Amino acid sequence: MRRSFLAGAAALAAAALLGPAAQAQDFNWRQQDGRTITLLLNNHPWSQAMREMAADFTARTGIRVRIEIFNEEQFRARLTTLMQGRSPEVDVFMSLPSREGAVFKRAGWYTDLAPLIADRRLTAPDFDYEDFGEGMRRQATIDGLVATLPINQEGPLFYWRRDIFARCGIEEPRHLEDIPVAAQRLRACDANQGVWAARGLRGAVNYGMSGFVFNLGGSYATPDGRPGLCQPATIRGIEMYANLLKDFGPPGALNHTFTQVIELLGQGRIAMTHESSNEFANIMRFPGRAQDIGVKVLPPSRETGISRPLVIGWGLAVSAHSRQRDAAWLFLQWATGTEVQTRLVQNGVAPPRASVFQGPAFNAWAEELPVRRAWAQSLIEIGRTGTGIYQSPTDRVPEARDLIGNAMQQVVLGRASARDAACAADPELARLQ
Amino acid sequence: MSVTGAALAAEAAARDAAPRRRAGPWRRRPTASFRWMVAPALAFACAMIVLPFGWAAWLSLQESVIGGAPRFIGLDNYRRLLADAEFWNGFRLTLLLWLLSLAVQLVAGTWLGLLLARVEVARGLVRTVLVSPFMLPPVVIGMMAIVILDPGLGVANWLLAQAGLGPLLFLADPGTVMITVALLDSWQWTPFVALIVLGGYLSLPRDVFEAAEIDGASASQRFRRITLPLLAPTLVTAAVLRSVDLLRFFDVIYITTQGGPGNASTTLNILAYRRGFEFFEFGYAAALMVTLSAIVFGTVLAFAKLRRAAAW
Repeated sequence: MRRSFLAGAAALAAAALLGPAAQAQDFNWRQQDGRTITLLLNNHPWSQAMREMAADFTARTGIRVRIEIFNEEQFRARLTTLMQGRSPEVDVFMSLPSREGAVFKRAGWYTDLAPLIADRRLTAPDFDYEDFGEGMRRQATIDGLVATLPINQEGPLFYWRRDIFARCGIEEPRHLEDIPVAAQRLRACDANQGVWAARGLRGAVNYGMSGFVFNLGGSYATPDGRPGLCQPATIRGIEMYANLLKDFGPPGALNHTFTQVIELLGQGRIAMTHESSNEFANIMRFPGRAQDIGVKVLPPSRETGISRPLVIGWGLAVSAHSRQRDAAWLFLQWATGTEVQTRLVQNGVAPPRASVFQGPAFNAWAEELPVRRAWAQSLIEIGRTGTGIYQSPTDRVPEARDLIGNAMQQVVLGRASARDAACAADPELARLQ
Repeated sequence: MSVTGAALAAEAAARDAAPRRRAGPWRRRPTASFRWMVAPALAFACAMIVLPFGWAAWLSLQESVIGGAPRFIGLDNYRRLLADAEFWNGFRLTLLLWLLSLAVQLVAGTWLGLLLARVEVARGLVRTVLVSPFMLPPVVIGMMAIVILDPGLGVANWLLAQAGLGPLLFLADPGTVMITVALLDSWQWTPFVALIVLGGYLSLPRDVFEAAEIDGASASQRFRRITLPLLAPTLVTAAVLRSVDLLRFFDVIYITTQGGPGNASTTLNILAYRRGFEFFEFGYAAALMVTLSAIVFGTVLAFAKLRRAAAW
């Protein structure tokens, strides 16, 4: 009797220990075998990697995957057309909840993922939703609706050429105010060396500029929740960003977005930029850049001591009009699972799962080069201190960012002072509230 | 517009230049079988043109934003449009692009077409080379423009620097962006106009030219007094075809500048696209598109009248 109890207890303990693993093995990944799902993706390192990895998903589940990848503008146009027409053509789409979450939710385009996460038949036991960082989960949840599963985390980082700074005897910028000073000294040191580049295209400006505004103590909103570009610190941030672009930026900077900026940095034509952490892998592909680039979070202001970077994350959503909801959900689990995210690190995709970020594979990869370690540490920092809100209060986010970007452009074009441009934008932004 | 379109246009030009025939009695009284044969084409045109346009017109009378139920607001979108500085900026830029490009293409296309008529060697090869620009998709033209004309990365400024000129900002300067776009379009479509002119010129009666030569008219006089008047219907056809394209010009601007810098290249089409697909204001975007369609339609009608006046 005693022997059988001990044997039973041991079996329970073993089951408790091995339970999730055993259950995970029992999970039926082939429950939607033979179906086909369509993915609509933005051109992104994650999407490019997925094109190669999707065959593994088909091998595991029997579900065929059709992938459509477009540049961001075309991706949004196609998504809007299909979703507005309630088309079932797309089953899974990429979405940036910090940008469009409120509008898409109101339009009813997202399937609420919460019931799917809780469904034991549809969700693998080893799928750990809590493993996504709290900030990422918060961004992906809109008024209680779980809209997306995070696939990456990203934000603008400060990249600089350590070798050029060393050659010119210039210290690495420790404070935000050091950047224009360094730009001036770089110009004086080598007139043929490009100094600075950043996003100048109207709708893209805010991503690069907001760190300047926030670190100088500015905000896009007043304390009572109205548009606040016409506040002294915000004006200073807009002015610093615009002046860097005007005085030290490449010709034609107002048509530049990340593609041109990364090309300029990769080719060695500029010494500094504030660009997306996502582009790290692309920068490293240029010869020599892995050795001479430094990367860190945009330095805090000397005056305010504030460092408030941006952090956003793309996510995967299941279309509310999909007729393959369960197959799509299986794809989301697989694509955001630990195994796939660990592999995606090799493509420079920063994992939103804590277990992957702190795991041995990611650490081993990061330790191979100092610049990778610096990049990883920057991502940890922006994950801890960053914000995903970088426009005046409204749910018409793209339009608000466009107006703010337009104000910055007016300064670069010399059509208005930073104060005039910022103050003129506030009434227009107020109309979006 | 495709190569087939060019062939059809050349054919139309030749038809314009040909002497008018009196319509036969079969034209006045279509038979029942004729009506049945035309019916599918009419039904197709209704389904593909009239219905979508009707839907757009209906949408333009509503406040239709993403996530909200459409609400009928009558002509409010049009009232808003008339008070919108961005609309008037777009209208001005649309007209500027149209006039600038059309002028360049008609002048250069006529010159090139008449030159081609005199080419004796490798005539087929020359025409094939000329056709190639308008066979390229607009996205390719846009990408080429980005690569070549980028002030920092492009080869255009490098070439100018070799000649001791520049640098120019091309698409990045509010003052030059529309001229650059007009020249890009002219590079692509001038050969098309040239082929139309060539088709029209080759169909003209030779005896008029010979008579003028015998009478001692100079080359300049022959061009001003004979070639141009006889080519007028052909040129109007070319102007109609290019005007429709130019007034709804979109692709190259969107790829290269997205309407910037500032609003310096935000034509009506770009503005409507941004309002619809970026800011999700479908009702207002529809009002913009209906207005643009009315402008295009009005222009075509005006040219149709002009063509009748220029017919000989």
